[in-house]
Amino acid sequence: MTDLAVRLRGKGSALWALVAAVLSVVAICGVFLVAPEDADQGIIQKIFYFHVPIANTSLVAFGVACVAGILALRTRSPRWDEVLTASIGIGLLFAGLTIVSGSIWARASWGHWWRWDDTRLTTYLIIILIYAAFFVLRSSVEADRRARFSAIYAVIAFASVPLSFYAVRIATSFIHPVVFNSHGANLPDSMLVWFIVSQAAMLAVFIAFLLLELTQRRTESSLRRLRLALDA
Amino acid sequence: MKPRPLRQLRALVLKDLRLELRTRDTVIAMILFAVLAMVLFQFGFGTRQSDLTKFAGGLLWVTLAFTAVLGVGRSYVAEREQRVLDGLLVAPVPRMVLLVAKAIAIVGYLIAVEILVVPLLGVFFINGPFWSDIGWLFLSCLIADVGIGILGALIASLALFTRARELLLPVLFLPLLVPLVIAAAGATNAVAGSAHDLVQYRNYCLFLVGYAVLFGLVAYATFEAVFDD
Amino acid sequence: MKGYGERRAVDRVDLSVGEGEALAVVGPNGAGKSTLLRMLATLLRPEAGELEVAGCRLPDEAGRARGLIGYLTHDPLVYLDLTAWQNLELFADLYGVREPSARIEDVLDDVGLLSRAFEPVRAFSHGMAQRLGLARLMLHRPVVLLLDEPHSGLDAQGAALLDRLLGEVRGTRAAVLVTHDVERAVAVADRVMVMRLGRVVESVETAGLDPAEFRATYEALVA
Repeated sequence: MTDLAVRLRGKGSALWALVAAVLSVVAICGVFLVAPEDADQGIIQKIFYFHVPIANTSLVAFGVACVAGILALRTRSPRWDEVLTASIGIGLLFAGLTIVSGSIWARASWGHWWRWDDTRLTTYLIIILIYAAFFVLRSSVEADRRARFSAIYAVIAFASVPLSFYAVRIATSFIHPVVFNSHGANLPDSMLVWFIVSQAAMLAVFIAFLLLELTQRRTESSLRRLRLALDA
Repeated sequence: MKPRPLRQLRALVLKDLRLELRTRDTVIAMILFAVLAMVLFQFGFGTRQSDLTKFAGGLLWVTLAFTAVLGVGRSYVAEREQRVLDGLLVAPVPRMVLLVAKAIAIVGYLIAVEILVVPLLGVFFINGPFWSDIGWLFLSCLIADVGIGILGALIASLALFTRARELLLPVLFLPLLVPLVIAAAGATNAVAGSAHDLVQYRNYCLFLVGYAVLFGLVAYATFEAVFDD
Repeated sequence: MKGYGERRAVDRVDLSVGEGEALAVVGPNGAGKSTLLRMLATLLRPEAGELEVAGCRLPDEAGRARGLIGYLTHDPLVYLDLTAWQNLELFADLYGVREPSARIEDVLDDVGLLSRAFEPVRAFSHGMAQRLGLARLMLHRPVVLLLDEPHSGLDAQGAALLDRLLGEVRGTRAAVLVTHDVERAVAVADRVMVMRLGRVVESVETAGLDPAEFRATYEALVA
């Protein structure tokens, strides 16, 4: 039965990988070939189409981990532990990419790799620190508590995400006026469309990664069980 | 014999107080550490002439955040070293009462430190009026302490069962504390020195209240599972 | 059932201890005796199976069960930096004991520590500390006694007290005693259960059982 589940999940991840690939290609073509060039910033503004969706996707990943954490505490099923761990790993990857893309943008726009008054960069740095600690915690807890503590921490960490966002915003808005705010709700439609496509692509990438990771973990544990059965 | 949570809470807090009064390990070390941190700040950042008034909030709260790590790290030390934890866990104590008792102990440590450190901040670093607003400063400290206490008790309970807990604790605790440090430092800056911006102060304090409430809810939702082996 | 990693520490154990009965669990190290006891004491949650202690289903009614359980290990489970009195005061409050002062005086007198009530436990010998553990055990008049190697730290006076206590069990209480001391198990318990690698391998009534003979049976079982 687990065999079947693994195989089905394998199919699912292949399907989502395909969706992610197609959407990404469409998004890249659309962003660079179709979307109009920004009047002020020129070509560098294109990074915004990836920077922001990647950032949002990492929050989605952490949100998924939080929900999986609640379910893990409720059901005590090891399945949710796998989901939340995989999800936080991918979330961290996306958060890292957010910082990298944000840094490139900051460098191109202002000549500095880092600006503390860029609220997104600052917030994601804090978020990375919070979620990196997850893996430190995980590796230093004994196996019988690992799933439970991971779940608890996934919930605690996600609660601190909005707090970090808000705190960084009030801090920067009182110290400096916010300068880095060229993006936001008032995008022209021709840009907004490609922004949404890109966001969809990033979410599909996340789902594909998550399913792949889960398939791999499942396969590994089936393999371990098989080996044990052989040994016995 | 129906155990009452308030009686249990009082007993647990009294126990921590008695242990601390007997050994006095934690509070004295925390106070020394806090003063030391402030001295290091002065020599790290300032020369004799420079005025650190506008950094007062940051100075105070970075100091207190690191000092809090010490207090949080010590909060289960008696249970661990004297091997009493099972004794508490087999007693009919709601797990939330254990958490609140630890949070109160942490808040107690912090208040003991702040009573000395906040006036010292005025003496060491602040140019201009300070003493008129010291009541506001203490109030914001108290609100922030509640948040630190709740989160600290929760994290300390997790760290209790980990390897290398002395290392793990700051790594887990400080990132979660960043929003609190931002807001508490903001509140301090709003009323320290010649600044006296009560609107800003109120906003920061409301954030600190929200922080404590949010982590209170998270603790309420998850704490039962910490000791549920 | 409780597993650690790939191995099950306690597996397919089926037991019931009736009112007024004392059960001794014996077995070599790693047999799962302590794990079993910790599950009964609400400290560990079984991964599968059913558990009922003092009429409370675990883990759902653990809170109520805890008030009825008395748990003692080779650690006395008291604070070394508090006095004997302060320790018992704390546990009286945790268990909601009525008229705590009178009750504390009673149990301290029972274990022969009344004259040392206001000394910190750190100043006690190990045997005295363990007797204080006995006082803590009896403080809230538990109906189920769960004892994990309680004799190991006790002095002669404490051991005599504990044996008397186990004798009193034949009233309305039930007791589960984990030990590696087979002879003592036969002497104090109504029934002896032998565990090995998480399984029960033997369970016998002690009435008419010869300790030395059973010792030989035990050696053969766990070899």
